Amino acid sequence: MIPTVAMLQVALPSAAQPAVITVGVLYFAAIIAISVWAARRTRTASDFFVAGKGIGLIALTVASVSVSVSGFAFIGGPGLIYAVGLGAMYIVLPAAVTNVMGAWVLAKRMRLLAEARSLITIPDAIGARYRSRAAQGLSAIAILVGIVGYMATNALAMGVVINAIFGVGLGWGIWIGMGITLAYSASGGILAGIYNDVFQGTLMAIASVLVFLFVLGYGGGLGEISRTILAHDPTILGPWGKLTPLAALSFFFVFSMGSLGQPQAVHKYYMLRDPLQLKWYPLLKTLGLVLVLLLYFSVGLGVKSFVLGGRLAPLSSPDQATPTLLLTATPIVLAALVFSGVAAATMSAANSFLNIGAAIVTHDLPIALGRSVGNELRWGRVMTVLIAVAAAITAQKSGAMVAFLGIFGWGLFASTLVPALAVGLNWEGATRAGALASIATGLIVTVALETLAYWKVFRFPAGVTASAVAMVMSFLVFFMVSWLTRADAPNQLDPDIRLVMDI
Amino acid sequence: MTRRAAIAALFLAIISIALGYASAFSKGGAPVWAAWLLALGIPTALGAIMILGAVRSNRGLGRLVIPFALVVLVLAIGFGAALALPGGESATTGLWLGLPPRAAIVIYGVGLLPILVLPVAYAMTFESQTLSASDVEKVRAVASERRAMESESINQRKAE
Repeated sequence: MIPTVAMLQVALPSAAQPAVITVGVLYFAAIIAISVWAARRTRTASDFFVAGKGIGLIALTVASVSVSVSGFAFIGGPGLIYAVGLGAMYIVLPAAVTNVMGAWVLAKRMRLLAEARSLITIPDAIGARYRSRAAQGLSAIAILVGIVGYMATNALAMGVVINAIFGVGLGWGIWIGMGITLAYSASGGILAGIYNDVFQGTLMAIASVLVFLFVLGYGGGLGEISRTILAHDPTILGPWGKLTPLAALSFFFVFSMGSLGQPQAVHKYYMLRDPLQLKWYPLLKTLGLVLVLLLYFSVGLGVKSFVLGGRLAPLSSPDQATPTLLLTATPIVLAALVFSGVAAATMSAANSFLNIGAAIVTHDLPIALGRSVGNELRWGRVMTVLIAVAAAITAQKSGAMVAFLGIFGWGLFASTLVPALAVGLNWEGATRAGALASIATGLIVTVALETLAYWKVFRFPAGVTASAVAMVMSFLVFFMVSWLTRADAPNQLDPDIRLVMDI
Repeated sequence: MTRRAAIAALFLAIISIALGYASAFSKGGAPVWAAWLLALGIPTALGAIMILGAVRSNRGLGRLVIPFALVVLVLAIGFGAALALPGGESATTGLWLGLPPRAAIVIYGVGLLPILVLPVAYAMTFESQTLSASDVEKVRAVASERRAMESESINQRKAE
């Protein structure tokens, strides 16, 4: 994911002051308390992987906002706006449509699938839709490959943030962050994850709104901030910033259409207690996201204006925009809240991926191989521990390779899952062969292009990314193969799946 | 019929986006029209996939036609205006709600206007267009039939 990877390039300045440490300790104490409570309520595999389909609307909405936003929204994103101007907004502008798009395209059908078949994973839905263990297995492998990168990058990001708060060193930061996330993920599963996400999402929203108000007050309003920037560096406030139009629009495409394939968000649709509560889900989630993203917009432009106007010293790197503002201009308690918010964002994402990864290994891959695991709850916990330890070791040992692993996460999920899942659940003409070909195309093209680019075998032209190319190719292959094999389509739908697709 | 049209629109939009990307590989970089292919292809693709998700097998889009059309137009006009309007922002440029006009069109038009339209339209048409209690009951009934058949078949196998 671009977001987490961008955080890896940040050497956060030390914020280890009494107020920051106190807020950090309180934050971790709250996480532990919630986890103990949730662990007592986790008794079955369904509780562990989909919270027993028992989450209320508000909790699900806040949790979903929390996993949709990584530390990038607080550190890397404002830095990107500082560097390239409004072009960086095309990463977050899709939030205006993605939540409601997800609700129309996926939420209803996924939630009804959970009702019809008691499904618990995304590959479950793909397997049921195409009546295909191969499609379930292939999509599970694709998600697992993406999770390897995400987990390693999140582990490293946690280390960076915890080191900044407590000054314990990067290595200890990784193990402390992963240890706490692991403790609540393994004991309370997604139930602990959801209620910790609620706490973490609320913290992020409060921190974001307070920083937004501070920046507007400090800068004399958005108009004054803009005038200072226009006087010194007007391209920042052009509609594409310093990016080319193609690059900015490409961001919008990948982060809008690609949102339909992000398992950490899509998986949540299974968990809503009452399917009819979906009515208010997109509105609430969109409003929540807007609040959390206020910091992204305001700090990027605000710090640019303060530096250009001489109120802040020039930054050593764009990623220092948020830390510099927090540690030199804002009250220290606000800085403490934001640092805890960043830790919250990375832990929330890590928990979600741990849970999804464990479900794939203990549930989807055995099904794809025609086997079943006896005690999914126990093995789910074991796999959660193994994935977390592997991620922490990878984060510590692999250096730059971790960033590489994380780069293709978002694009890999998008290119492998959007056509087969999002289009497939809404189009009876989609076929098993089309889904398999599309998932394989997304997987191979993303990994191949990212690897070639990483080893500098070739460079993409300006504005073109591997994620975008892979997603477009996956779509085209999905349509073409489905059309070529369209005679098979009617035979590949079970009556209950057809009903879910008709409603 | 509506689903077929949505699939066709989605396919054409993806082709348009693919051509935009492909043109960037030509010598001299992406031509000016490449960005236009994305500026029109992206709203079409998003609109088409939303229609695909919203339409029910036996009904059209009903009242949702208006918000969908509005949002596709807002996105296309927002991107188009950013591409077509003259640039040259400077210290003397007038501000719209604190931003230069082209930036304001993108941030407030593309980034905020759809929020006022789509989630509200989703909630207002939820029971009639998306999901009602009777829909959920239908699925539960089919699920329970399926479970009964599965357990009968398991019992039969055990008996054999």
